[in-house]
Amino acid sequence: MNGVLSDPFTISYPTAVQTSLNSGASFAKFDPSGSYVAGGRPDGSAVVWDLDTKAPIRWLEGHVKAVTSVDWSRNSRYLLTSSKDWNVIIWDLASDTDPVRRRATIRFDAPVVSASFHPRNSQIVVVLLSPGDAYLVDLRKQYRSRVELCEIQEESEDEGQGSRARSTMTVVRFDPTGRYIFAGTSAGSNIVFNTRTKTMIARHKISGAGIIRGLDFAKGGRRLVTNSSDRVLRQFNLPIYMSSTAEGEYIEQELEPTYRFNDPINKNAWHAMAYSPDGEWLAGGAADNASHKIYIWDLANEGQFATALDGGPEPLLHVHWHPKKASIVSTTNVGNILVWHCPTPERWGAFAGGFEEVDENVEYEEREDEFDIEDESEIALRKQKAEDEEVDIDGLVEDQSSKPADLTQRVADDDEDIVWAIEESDDDHPGWRMKVVVEDDVDGL
Amino acid sequence: MSITGVNDNQASGSGEVESHRIDADDDVAMKPERPASPPPIPGPSKTSSSDGTPAYKTRFMLSGHSRSISSIKFSADGGMLATAAADKTVKLWSTETGEILKTLEGHTEGISDVAWSPDGEYLASASDDKTIRIWSLEMMETVVVLQGHTNFVFCINFSPKSNLLVSGGFDETVRIWDVARGRTLKTLPAHSDPVTAVTFNHDGTLIASCAMDGLIRIWDAESGQCLKTLADDDNPICSHIKFTPNSRFILASTQDSTIRLWNTQTSRCVKTYTGHTNRTYCLFADFAPGAKHIVSGSEDTRIYVWDLQTRKIVQVLEGHRDAVIAVASHPTRRMLASASMEKDMTIRLWVDANSPP
Repeated sequence: MNGVLSDPFTISYPTAVQTSLNSGASFAKFDPSGSYVAGGRPDGSAVVWDLDTKAPIRWLEGHVKAVTSVDWSRNSRYLLTSSKDWNVIIWDLASDTDPVRRRATIRFDAPVVSASFHPRNSQIVVVLLSPGDAYLVDLRKQYRSRVELCEIQEESEDEGQGSRARSTMTVVRFDPTGRYIFAGTSAGSNIVFNTRTKTMIARHKISGAGIIRGLDFAKGGRRLVTNSSDRVLRQFNLPIYMSSTAEGEYIEQELEPTYRFNDPINKNAWHAMAYSPDGEWLAGGAADNASHKIYIWDLANEGQFATALDGGPEPLLHVHWHPKKASIVSTTNVGNILVWHCPTPERWGAFAGGFEEVDENVEYEEREDEFDIEDESEIALRKQKAEDEEVDIDGLVEDQSSKPADLTQRVADDDEDIVWAIEESDDDHPGWRMKVVVEDDVDGL
Repeated sequence: MSITGVNDNQASGSGEVESHRIDADDDVAMKPERPASPPPIPGPSKTSSSDGTPAYKTRFMLSGHSRSISSIKFSADGGMLATAAADKTVKLWSTETGEILKTLEGHTEGISDVAWSPDGEYLASASDDKTIRIWSLEMMETVVVLQGHTNFVFCINFSPKSNLLVSGGFDETVRIWDVARGRTLKTLPAHSDPVTAVTFNHDGTLIASCAMDGLIRIWDAESGQCLKTLADDDNPICSHIKFTPNSRFILASTQDSTIRLWNTQTSRCVKTYTGHTNRTYCLFADFAPGAKHIVSGSEDTRIYVWDLQTRKIVQVLEGHRDAVIAVASHPTRRMLASASMEKDMTIRLWVDANSPP
């Protein structure tokens, strides 16, 4: 809303640290509304911060070993935590109770590396376990299941294939539409599964990548960036996958990156990367153990390096971009969450009514009738006339910031994959409210 | 200007008077004698708009406060009404039955404003004792006392998410509070005179404040930076402001007996509403239910309803016997609430007889 009133000229990546949240977290993620940040801690707890008040508002204590990932449901009501203690817990933040009520606990027989919600239904969860197997867990009554996502191995024709052995999955996540699951492997390829049929539909080899360490999508889901053990971030344009392929059939296609990003000087590896909400910028968190550096590249400008943000001496572990704004959260290895923003200079001219600041001197051109004396009644009449114009006090102005969010929702609703996913909907409605819990011991902090 | 000045005589805390129901038809009993005949009021038929002219009639007349009532607000679901008064109490009333549900006591001086949290969990009250109290509606007791203002607190409002509270006072500052922790997040050196109203916009990204210095300022809620200032040429004291539901306009009452609708983007006054009297007190104005009309109290003891678009007075509500400081609109039904000062001290609930069923 205030975008309308503030200066239209804004650079769209953050430039300075606004606050540091001392949370003990090893990574942190914004919720889809951008109001909250959830951080996962090595001691097994997770904490939710309110960015309006810069205060922790919920402590989620359910794991006995380090939290490995967190994910928010699309309207932020449910929060998922995965842990090395073999569990995935889904928390219901709409519950008034303290501690926060769990909606589900999903147990596995190995440490959980990561877990995430289906973008359209928080009852569908994709999970990666530590040995490198991925499971799609469906909690819906009708479909209750736990299916392992298996890579179809090429039939070994020559001995070279046999020795390569089985590749394991190193990263698994949904694409923004939820129709596909993307998995990165230790063999340097990306495997694509159809979420509904749970079958592999494509494999993309990425030559020279080594082990895939991370994946991120631009909002529309058409572009993908990978992080891999060769210390290069690669961006790809994704092909369009057939909605239904015959059993066992899949596309074997090597993808050529549109851009490669690396650090030519320090040869740093990357801990994490994130697209800006408009997909025009990419942020990469450098795995440098002496500094906290976030590199920003301008994708609209041929992937040119734009800037490196310096967050001080505490090494970086994770970065996540705000879903709507030029803001980033980056986590340091001592548990501080840095909130980056784009500071706007104070405009002192705003304090005077009817006064406008200009950057440069403007030659003032006097209107012909500017100092003419006008009949007061005429002025009044003109004012009356102007006031006859109808005003709309109810209709909302279209909010620019909410537009990109809709892109992901604009997938044809007759798509059978989508229809399947939204069946037996969760209760994650947009209207729910995070209850304000007044601290009992206000002074005790 | 403060209707709850600290030096006023302490009125004896008379016992609570039972609220009593007034039959809407039984008009004679409650209509006060008017000393002079009122000026002609435009007939409703002349100005009838497409959606029908309102015809608000008294449904309940409630009494209970022992001194001037300063503020009146409907709860978010419309089921309750909260009133604050110079008698240091906040009272909660049922809008269905007109009964007093609860009297909240705790402030040591008169109260100037009251606000419901949009989530229905809390109520906040601003007092001349320089504090703001946050009351839990579940427990009906104070859960936090916000301390920080260095003079009377005059106006308060919650953010849409209920996690923030904004307040203004005679120390000329606007403060943004963390409700859960009871601490000040920001202090804005907002004005050069007492701040008379302060409010968030519909999505909580803007704060607007107005003061006796006659300025209306719009602030970025996150950074606390001033985004713009709306000012008329002759700076009349600004009594009250309210954002339109879409935040494109601000309804501002000023003590030159005028209410103006400002376009926040162009900084222009697009509508002017006159006819009532406002020279002394900070009167509340609101959009009447349906968002087609403007409603305000008046120091001539009446309540005025204007057509939003034509700016004509469509109804004048009579009944109160002293200046009507506070009016409020029901969030969903065609109902108004109004409260009056020292010589009257009653609250009236008005229901539109022309309302669609």
